[in-house]
Amino acid sequence: MTVVAHAGHWLAQLAYLAPLVFLVGALVYGKWKARREARSRAGDAREQA
Amino acid sequence: MTRRLAAALALVLGCLLWVPSTALAHGLVGKQDLPIPRWLFAWAAATVLVISFLALAVLWPAPLLERRRESKLLSLPSLLDPLCGSLGVATFATAVYAGLAGNQSASENLLPTLVFVLFWVAIPCVSFVFGDISRPFNPWRAVGRLGGWLAARVARGTLPKPLEYPRRVGYWPAAAGIFAFVWVELVYSGRTDPRSLAVLALVYAVVQWVGMSVYGVDAWCRRADAFGVYFGLFARLSPLRWARRALFLRPPVAGAAQLAAVPGTVALVCVAIGTTSFDGFSLNDVWNSIAETSTDAFRDLGLSPGNALELTFTLGLIAMVGLIFAFYRLGIAGMRTVDPSRSARALAGAFAHSLIPIALAYVIAHYFGLLAYQGQAIGFLVSDPLGDGSDLFGTADRAIDYGWISASAIWYVQVVTLVVGHAIGLALAHDRALVLYGNSRESVRSQYWMLAVMVGFTCLALWLLSSQA
Repeated sequence: MTVVAHAGHWLAQLAYLAPLVFLVGALVYGKWKARREARSRAGDAREQA
Repeated sequence: MTRRLAAALALVLGCLLWVPSTALAHGLVGKQDLPIPRWLFAWAAATVLVISFLALAVLWPAPLLERRRESKLLSLPSLLDPLCGSLGVATFATAVYAGLAGNQSASENLLPTLVFVLFWVAIPCVSFVFGDISRPFNPWRAVGRLGGWLAARVARGTLPKPLEYPRRVGYWPAAAGIFAFVWVELVYSGRTDPRSLAVLALVYAVVQWVGMSVYGVDAWCRRADAFGVYFGLFARLSPLRWARRALFLRPPVAGAAQLAAVPGTVALVCVAIGTTSFDGFSLNDVWNSIAETSTDAFRDLGLSPGNALELTFTLGLIAMVGLIFAFYRLGIAGMRTVDPSRSARALAGAFAHSLIPIALAYVIAHYFGLLAYQGQAIGFLVSDPLGDGSDLFGTADRAIDYGWISASAIWYVQVVTLVVGHAIGLALAHDRALVLYGNSRESVRSQYWMLAVMVGFTCLALWLLSSQA
């Protein structure tokens, strides 16, 4: 209950972290997507061969 | 799916906008009159940095800062250097005498305010605008040069040459010196005792003179004099460069790109940012809770309350510097994914100069309030440096005017400083990446992670500042 009662404090503090989390998430997602595309391109090339 | 995501985001935003009113109900109202919650400033700052990053990627396709471009502005008389040095020595001697012989109240003696406000906060700001003007006024350098000149006269050419300053030592003594100074400022229990400060100032001076006599005045001042190196870092952002006989004009911030990545460079900038961050964090509720638990644990181990508190703060200071270093190295590790053939250590050194404007932004943002209010105390303390009731310049009766700038105005200065400092850091890193990676596409890709580092540092600084407000 204490955690909920003090949500006003810690939620606002967490909000400072949001831009960094969003940016790092976007970077990791971009890397993952690029790798998946590279893998699927390599698979297509193998099939054609 | 997208609509559901947008609705969820709107709900979270709505909740967060409601949250600060709950927080403000806990007694923070009245200090700052801001139109939006403070955390929204962090989001706005992050947005500005992302836009700056995109603008750099599009509008800055070739390196501009790496090549030294400067023009001579004017010649300086040869007497200027010894004159400034004499003034620096006189100020140092007066301050130390005031600390040793004056009133031992920190608010009435000149020394604590001179050291912690004028010396530690005002000089970095002045160096950023006017260049490295602290160098000619450096009292240790002036005495070292005078000593060297006298020794050469007496020895009549038989004086041995100074040893070569070890390259592997680099900026490490300067980083250790800055860490030690901040330890005194934030941790040491006798930090407000003028006599202790005066003794520490004399100890520092003796260390400098020993170093200068072994390695030579210029080599020591360039790498190991903690304050000379620290102020010199910020002076690299200035459009003015002072040489012994001339003043040069260069593009603003271009001097930072000339920073040699010698050993200890990353440590120095991380200590500069980390120690300032800890100064803010030590006023935070989170730290108070950690410190209480830690101090109790050390007391249980048999330490006195004072020693337990000092040990807790020392560990906190080290942890914060380590955290800043780790965060920077994470950004560097991300940068390595673009070209794994480059070593992390080489990349960390190559981009260390981009942290200089961030370190300065941290200093200005964290200490602007102190400078704006406590800085005024110098006006009346110079008239009564010993705190014994004298009135040398007729200003001893003056008082600090707390009304000249509002808390909200201070907050806006802090936010703008942080955003501009980090944007300059991005520009410096982008310019260096263009040199290292050769083409615009690769360099922009490498800087995605640097953008994350800059956004992280901005949000950290705003969080630290907002938790003090």
